[in-house]
Amino acid sequence: MYNLRRFIIKHHFVILFILLEVISILLLANSQRFHRNRMVNTTNDVVGKIYEWNSEIGYYFSLNSTNEQLAEENAMLRQKLSIMYDTSTCTYNISEGDTLYKYIPAQVVNNSINQANNYIIINKGAVDGIERDMSVISSEGIVGVVTDVSRHYASIMSLLHSKSLVGVRIKESQELASLKWGTNNYRYGMVEDIPTHIVLNTGDTILTSSHSYIFPEDLMVGTIEEFYPTAVDALNKAKIRFATDFATLRHVYVIKNLHKPELDSLKAKFKQNE
Amino acid sequence: MNKTALQIIRFVVLVLLQVLVINHIRLGGYVHPYIYMIFIMLLPFSTPKWQLLVLGFALGLTVDLFTGTLGLHAGATTLMAFCRPSIIKLVSGNQKFENITEPNLGQLGGIWFFRYALCMVFIHHLALFFLESFSFRLLGQVMLRILLSVPVSIFLIMMILFIFKTEKRRE
Repeated sequence: MYNLRRFIIKHHFVILFILLEVISILLLANSQRFHRNRMVNTTNDVVGKIYEWNSEIGYYFSLNSTNEQLAEENAMLRQKLSIMYDTSTCTYNISEGDTLYKYIPAQVVNNSINQANNYIIINKGAVDGIERDMSVISSEGIVGVVTDVSRHYASIMSLLHSKSLVGVRIKESQELASLKWGTNNYRYGMVEDIPTHIVLNTGDTILTSSHSYIFPEDLMVGTIEEFYPTAVDALNKAKIRFATDFATLRHVYVIKNLHKPELDSLKAKFKQNE
Repeated sequence: MNKTALQIIRFVVLVLLQVLVINHIRLGGYVHPYIYMIFIMLLPFSTPKWQLLVLGFALGLTVDLFTGTLGLHAGATTLMAFCRPSIIKLVSGNQKFENITEPNLGQLGGIWFFRYALCMVFIHHLALFFLESFSFRLLGQVMLRILLSVPVSIFLIMMILFIFKTEKRRE
């Protein structure tokens, strides 16, 4: 016992170093696998507040272009609405039971695009009804998935993340494929597992598929930039230009699937039966 | 000013500078400069070794909370703190410091500090980028990141220290 104590005191520097490194690597491995760390949750409010102050300073400089973008989106939505209803006579009130999805508007308070794994922090949290695994879109296209929620803030795993994986569909041929980041550039991603008989051209549109439980169907993902046919591999790849501009991201919508509890309970039943 | 208070202010200012300003610098996909390690580099020579480790871990973890990468910066900064005593010995050689309590640019000179910063930043970035990719699969890409980021980080660190130095003289 005495020897052990002497050993620890003599080598305390190395022992403490190894201990701290082990803690770091465990934390890192955990956060990469689960994205649900209590510690992140409790401090996220402080971090979110600091980021919010910081983003408010820069906000005024981009007000003009943000307004323009939102007005354009409004015009587009009005046009769509006019196709469906005669807006002059119809007073249509939307109640919760009518829609499958609820859109919660939020503002980006911090956003990174140049790391290997990028996260976005928004100024809406558990109080506003944000939950884990909800999808996030911008007016231009899809953005990411909510991974952590604190009281007033939420962090989103953006498409620019090494673990990001989204089920997508090629608009022209209805074929399914999957989307990964796969590049180091915030403008481009990679569409993988494209069936061999499909040939894609530059400019072809990629949308979200109905097989993804997270994103609603038919949301804009991006357009094909370059097609890579592979002779050896059974499945092709293509480079895609994201519709969302992650560098200037400001306003986003968090989408709540109102049927999610139902879907989840069905999935749980499958698991029980297995 | 109280030495401990100065250290705390330095800690907070450097973390905020890193996460609010430096992290938003975009110089292509491979350049990611980091400067918050200045805090560990400037700790007094008499700091107990175990305190170096604990402070390094705490500093890294604070940055991690902001970037959502729990354990990443903590691991890299702890390694850097672990290497600090050896690096100081290596860089100084037979030089003896009398009346010098902490590594600073004014008393030890630009060349000494540059060599010191080079070793410290290189070890930090090496650990950071390898931990980030979490595998040796992307070896070429990770090495490129390290080689491109280290010069930018050192440039920023030396610049910050020079600014700090002139301010001290005016007092």
